[in-house]
Amino acid sequence: MKEQDKTPDDRRGFVMALGGAIATAFAAIGSIILPGSAAASLLDDEDENDSEKVGVKVQYGMVIDVRRCIGCHACTVACKSEFDVPPGVNRSWVEYTEKGQYPNVGRSFLPRLCNHCSEPLCVDVCPTNATYRREQDGIIAVDHGVCIACKYCMHACPYDARFLDPVNEWVDKCDFCIHRVSKGLAPSCVNTCVGGARIFGNLADPDSAVSMLIASNRVSVLRSEMGTFPNVYYIDADFTDEVDRRRPEVREVRVITHRRHKERT
Amino acid sequence: MHLGTPWGLEVILYLFLAGMGAGTITASASMLLRGGGGDGQYFSIARYGALVGPFPVVIGTVLLIFELGRPFRALNLYKVINLSPMSLGSWFLAFFIIISIIYALLFLPWPQWKGKRLSAWRRRLAWVCVPSGLSVAIYTGVLLGAMPSRPFWNSPIIAMLFMISAISTGMALIIFTRALFYKVHLDVPTEERSWHGSGYVLAATDVLLIGFELLVLFLLLMFAHLTVGSVKYAVEIILPGGELAVFFWVGVVLLGLVIPGIIEMFFVAPKLLYGGHYTAPRSIDIVVPLAVMVGGYLLRYVIVMAGQLTGPVGL
Ligand code: SF4
Ligand code: SF4
Ligand code: SF4
Repeated sequence: MKEQDKTPDDRRGFVMALGGAIATAFAAIGSIILPGSAAASLLDDEDENDSEKVGVKVQYGMVIDVRRCIGCHACTVACKSEFDVPPGVNRSWVEYTEKGQYPNVGRSFLPRLCNHCSEPLCVDVCPTNATYRREQDGIIAVDHGVCIACKYCMHACPYDARFLDPVNEWVDKCDFCIHRVSKGLAPSCVNTCVGGARIFGNLADPDSAVSMLIASNRVSVLRSEMGTFPNVYYIDADFTDEVDRRRPEVREVRVITHRRHKERT
Repeated sequence: MHLGTPWGLEVILYLFLAGMGAGTITASASMLLRGGGGDGQYFSIARYGALVGPFPVVIGTVLLIFELGRPFRALNLYKVINLSPMSLGSWFLAFFIIISIIYALLFLPWPQWKGKRLSAWRRRLAWVCVPSGLSVAIYTGVLLGAMPSRPFWNSPIIAMLFMISAISTGMALIIFTRALFYKVHLDVPTEERSWHGSGYVLAATDVLLIGFELLVLFLLLMFAHLTVGSVKYAVEIILPGGELAVFFWVGVVLLGLVIPGIIEMFFVAPKLLYGGHYTAPRSIDIVVPLAVMVGGYLLRYVIVMAGQLTGPVGL
């Protein structure tokens, strides 16, 4: 198309496209110079309605409503078959906690998985950047091709969420089923949960099911004192641990992690 | 071998060997600089250190690379650099291996080079060896200390402990090699004087380092014991009755520190206190450093295992 053939509309379109490109470039530079959140908030201020285009922040997270969990391990099995996880290791698992002395006893279930922390120590210590935080949805993922199996991240994670894949010799963990959630499906464990105890969604969206559950219930996260800011929340979880045996009112505690060779560490 | 923990014997051995090698080179280079770079008793110490130092580091590194399962993956470490202690440490280590090998080569006879030029280059390399050796010795401790999820390790004093232990075992390695290979005619007075003169320098330094190491261990135990929570529970593993208590108290403290310290003190004291004569038999110069090195290995073993076997308390 020659220059004089262009209609004014065309031209405006071109200018606007150019403007858009410059804005994107500035945003990119901004996000490099400024820490992520500051850059994002600058963009939000500039153009609130356009937030879809520059990408609303997505932070995937999960709420585990322990009141609805029946300890059936359907989630464990679904995860195992989804990823063909080798025997002896788990991306997701369920722990049983038994406490008290007959006849005053209690038993509770605690479904577990990677917390996809907002301050993930596993990312900080990874020497190869194999473990990284996905900017687009906050999922903490492992790039298996890059991981050297140094196992440093296994020490850094306060939740024992990581393991050495005995077959492939890389480190692995739950990735919130990236292949499913990127197509709009729920993670496999959520999909299969018989009691509806696992609820998945976008924590950055105040109207999502997870955000509303968190707002309207008393929730907790595991080991909040570690400062990792987990994105997996629990409703009504019992945090009794083996160390509570020392308490006179508890006396007996048995934790069954259902993981081979494993006590809860 | 994994011992059921993520880091097994290879990693422990690596931490020990890399620390000892780095300590040896650091000690050698500082002895060289202390002696002004020329000949004399400091030079002979520096020479032993320079020639043996690279071996433990290289052996330890090879062990570590094979521990990864697929050795060539280790190259991924050198495709990025980030603030992970392991990333920085790998770069330090690679740099240090190259520098220490060049440093060692400079101590071989090079007939075509004039003596002056050679010793000038040795001195230049020594200036690089001291900081890079120290950074390798320290990083092994920073590596462990970086994580709140491992309460036993999560303290700045572990890095200090590993650094002192690295230099102390490095000194031990120098004393050991010197005692094995030195051909000395003790009936010739000049040779006798320089042999015992350099022996005194080594033993006196080693006693000092052992004292510091005991002090750091004391601080570690005391502060862990005084606190409440995860650290207090974690340290129980090496206190009497704990799973690793025997290794720690008998192996690390008694065999590796107290007994060698007392023996060396016995030989150092006369000269130190009233200018007497320092004479230690060759057998002592072989047995005591061996004990220090075994103790240094057991220290890495106890610390690395204790950190892995304990965790944060509660959920
Ligand atoms: S739970 Fe552990 S592995 Fe998962 S993001 Fe947090 S620190 Fe990393
Ligand atoms: S094991 Fe893999 S993912 Fe974990 S810190 Fe090492 S390189 Fe990173
Ligand atoms: S599938 Fe649901 S109900 Fe069953 S154990 Fe898992 S979380 Fe609990």
